[in-house]
Amino acid sequence: MRLTLLLACIAMTASSVALSQSADEIMEASQRAYYFAGKDAKGMLKMALIDRKGNTRQRVLTMLRRNHENSGEQKYFMYFHEPSDVRRLTFMIWKYPKRDDDRWIYVPAVDLIRRIAAEDKYSSFVGSDFSYEDVSGRDLSEDTHSLLDDETLDDRNVFVIESIPLAPAAFTRRVSWIDKEHFLPLKIEYYDAQEQLQRIFTANVIEDIAAGEGDDRRVHPTAMKRTMENVRTGHRTEVIVTSVNYDVGLSDDDFSERHMRRPPREWIR
Amino acid sequence: MLDAEQEDRAFYDETKDTFGINDLIVVGVVDEADVFRSESLAGIARATAEILKIDGVIIEDVISPSTTDNVKSAGGLLDIHPVLGDIPQSAEELAQLRQDIADNPFLHEKIASADGTAIALYIPIEQKDMSHRIAGEIEAILTRELLPGQQHHLAGLPVSEDTFGHEMFIQMAIVAPLAFMVILAIVFVRFRQSAFLLPVAITAMFSVLWAMGALIGLGYTVHIMSSMIPVFLMPIAILDDIHILSEFFDRCRVLGDKRRALIEAMRPLYKPMFYTSITSGVGFASLALADIPPVRIFGLFVAFGIGAAWLLALTIVPAIISLMDDEKLKHRLFREGQGHTGPIYRLLASIGAIAFSRARLVLVLGIAAFAFGFAGLWQIEVNDNPVKWFKADHPLRLADTAMNELFGGTYMSYLVVNTEEPEAIKRPEVVAYIDQLQENLEADPIVGKTSSVADIVKRINLVLHDNDPAYDIVPESSEAVGQFLLLFQSSGDPNDLDNFIDPEESQANIWIQMKGGDNRQMQSVEDRLAAFVQANPPPEMITLQLSGLTYINKVWQDLMVTGMLKAVLGSFLVVFLLMLLEFRSFTFGALAMVPLSGSIILTYGLVGWLGKDYNMPIAVCAALTLGLGIDFAIHFLQRFKSHVLEARAVEATIRYMFGEPGRAIARNAIIITIGFLPLTLSTLSPYITVGLFFASLMTFCTLATLFVLPAALRFVGNRVIPGGAA
Repeated sequence: MRLTLLLACIAMTASSVALSQSADEIMEASQRAYYFAGKDAKGMLKMALIDRKGNTRQRVLTMLRRNHENSGEQKYFMYFHEPSDVRRLTFMIWKYPKRDDDRWIYVPAVDLIRRIAAEDKYSSFVGSDFSYEDVSGRDLSEDTHSLLDDETLDDRNVFVIESIPLAPAAFTRRVSWIDKEHFLPLKIEYYDAQEQLQRIFTANVIEDIAAGEGDDRRVHPTAMKRTMENVRTGHRTEVIVTSVNYDVGLSDDDFSERHMRRPPREWIR
Repeated sequence: MLDAEQEDRAFYDETKDTFGINDLIVVGVVDEADVFRSESLAGIARATAEILKIDGVIIEDVISPSTTDNVKSAGGLLDIHPVLGDIPQSAEELAQLRQDIADNPFLHEKIASADGTAIALYIPIEQKDMSHRIAGEIEAILTRELLPGQQHHLAGLPVSEDTFGHEMFIQMAIVAPLAFMVILAIVFVRFRQSAFLLPVAITAMFSVLWAMGALIGLGYTVHIMSSMIPVFLMPIAILDDIHILSEFFDRCRVLGDKRRALIEAMRPLYKPMFYTSITSGVGFASLALADIPPVRIFGLFVAFGIGAAWLLALTIVPAIISLMDDEKLKHRLFREGQGHTGPIYRLLASIGAIAFSRARLVLVLGIAAFAFGFAGLWQIEVNDNPVKWFKADHPLRLADTAMNELFGGTYMSYLVVNTEEPEAIKRPEVVAYIDQLQENLEADPIVGKTSSVADIVKRINLVLHDNDPAYDIVPESSEAVGQFLLLFQSSGDPNDLDNFIDPEESQANIWIQMKGGDNRQMQSVEDRLAAFVQANPPPEMITLQLSGLTYINKVWQDLMVTGMLKAVLGSFLVVFLLMLLEFRSFTFGALAMVPLSGSIILTYGLVGWLGKDYNMPIAVCAALTLGLGIDFAIHFLQRFKSHVLEARAVEATIRYMFGEPGRAIARNAIIITIGFLPLTLSTLSPYITVGLFFASLMTFCTLATLFVLPAALRFVGNRVIPGGAA
């Protein structure tokens, strides 16, 4: 009963916002839904890097995320299980909304941790078609957003939002199809310097993932399969979320250099 | 130009596909003062941003200061940023930028020259045939964005080859018509009959139009070889016309009756014209047996054009003569020629006398010339480089020279390392072998730079260990190799690594940048590689295979040289068989081949003695002799044969031969030699080559026909007379 009420509440809020919402507000809601679901999250990801001939490189990794209340800062931790030669390699990212992230890598073969300073918008996330910016989110104030249209995409009602970067970025134009109900982006098109379609993001399977118990129970719609296809190179990356749990109780201490060398077993299983 | 199924071509296509390699335009910005100045770097960064917007440029793979990442290390920090991010302002920042580039072997002499005067951008493009257009757009951007006093260069094989294609069309539109006009002018000077220009013009134009129209209509593309069809066809096409006009011109003056003169002129010509046309036609058509598609197409369509020209000569020429005003013609001809007193007549008469009376000397000299030419054949250096198809002062040639002096090389070739086993490339012994191989190749002065997965792994190892030179090596475990590669992939575009290693990690690609693209230079790299592999056998299961545009050009040329030689030799055989059939005499058949083989051997001998590279255009020129060389010989021998059968006296027949038949040959020789000299004014060296080749070929051919044939006939001429001579 409570759940239905809650859902009804969410639906009402959603539709009422929908009526009056500006493009900026829609994008903000979308970012909250996609990047900030829960207080924290732990997931196992299967990543397939597929070239235009269909050759595939598999990667399996555990990803931990923790949000900081209010500040918009986040911490990410990634542990590689496969392929076997990169097993135990870890990445840690401290994400800041207004500047480039801090990143660390642990290279087990030489037992070294190094901090990496790089541009999020251009660097590939572990060799995939996703950039760091795609994985951890782009600051909304870097673009101007405008609502192009309401339409339906695969039987879902969506907003179509166009975002134009204010300063040179990895794209010159981005069009997002954002679900009116749960605000997850269902499709994003990125256009390059030649104003050609360069990459297409699609959230292929959305599932409701429950967190908490009883009164505290919440549902986080989650994109269980995400694809980023570079249409110019024919290369694409498919990410399948094989398991995900929200609000598992991660603490700030879990995102430390010490844990990069020796990650707690319960987090990486 | 290789067949798509040819194995090296197929392998190149596969290599490009496996490693996501594209043809490159190499752009150089040269500033004699110092290119490392804030305003100059800002201009280059702006220009790069504009170049990325050009349709057809592969944005992700552009290598330039502002788009390519540098991985640096400083106190435990890995700094991964574009080489040129924010434009440095202070002297220290500028010096740091220079140092950064010099420190990274991936960037040193690649994106900036060692002396700091030049910066290079490597622009990959979707297709080679876009090079010319994209190069034009890049030029416009550079002209706009660069500082005054800065020069720019565009280099690389794709832009040369594609630009050649474009300039070729322009040359075709200038040179071929120019040759055509000159031919008409000479025809006019020789005959002083403007009416005579019409049949010559119609034959030349229609045979070329039909041949090229058929070629294009049947869907074949016009490239370097087929673009030469008009130039090759025109002189052969008008041969018959000149014979008819010449014969008619002389007879009309004597007979004073147009109709009778025309009939009498055509009668002795039917047979030789038929035989010359069928022989040249079959000769060219037999090029269709060659392995090389463009040569096949070329041969067939020239043969078709020759057939068309023969038909036109037999119909249009007499028809136009018939329509000429009888009175005017008579008046002019009478005024023109006052009998056998012209300089050509006198010259021919004395040539005839010398050839006959000094027959032995002439033959000895002929054999000596032949031997001289033959000896020159062994001096021939087979070598080609499409960039050198432009004259030395062409912007592309200047760019080629400048860029290859400043940077690691604009000619790309690839060495593919194949292990047939997934992930085997990451084995440390394989990476180490690649490293050794590169070191050896780089010792060749023509190899400017090589890059591979070994360089990536070494660079990551070095920067991970705070630039400790002890770690500028290939690590010892495949885990380390795998992890370093993952780190590398996390720093740039996902496809950066794909250029060097395939997704299965069973193949690696070594980029070899060469400072020269001559086939001979490619060959020296290939030889060096073979010697290295011989001395240092690779780890088991590993095979090595060269590829890339520079290598493909070498393969193409090897095939072209042998293929063209085989094709022309085959055509010679066919022509010889036709000659035997025609003359029904081995002696005459063999004699008919003398001007043909003599002129070709002497001309190629000269190429050898002069030390000129034997390249594609020169190889193609061999086919010319099939059309031109045989014509004079057939006319001479046919006319000799039919006359000697009546006169039954060799000496008298030879004297007759140096009358009208000799004049027709001399006229043809003059018209064609001079008519095609405009080719030497072309901006493209293949056209110049062909022009000079025409001239020397015609000269040798004419000399062989006018001296050697009569000299030889003095001894063997009576063999065609049944029962022997009187």
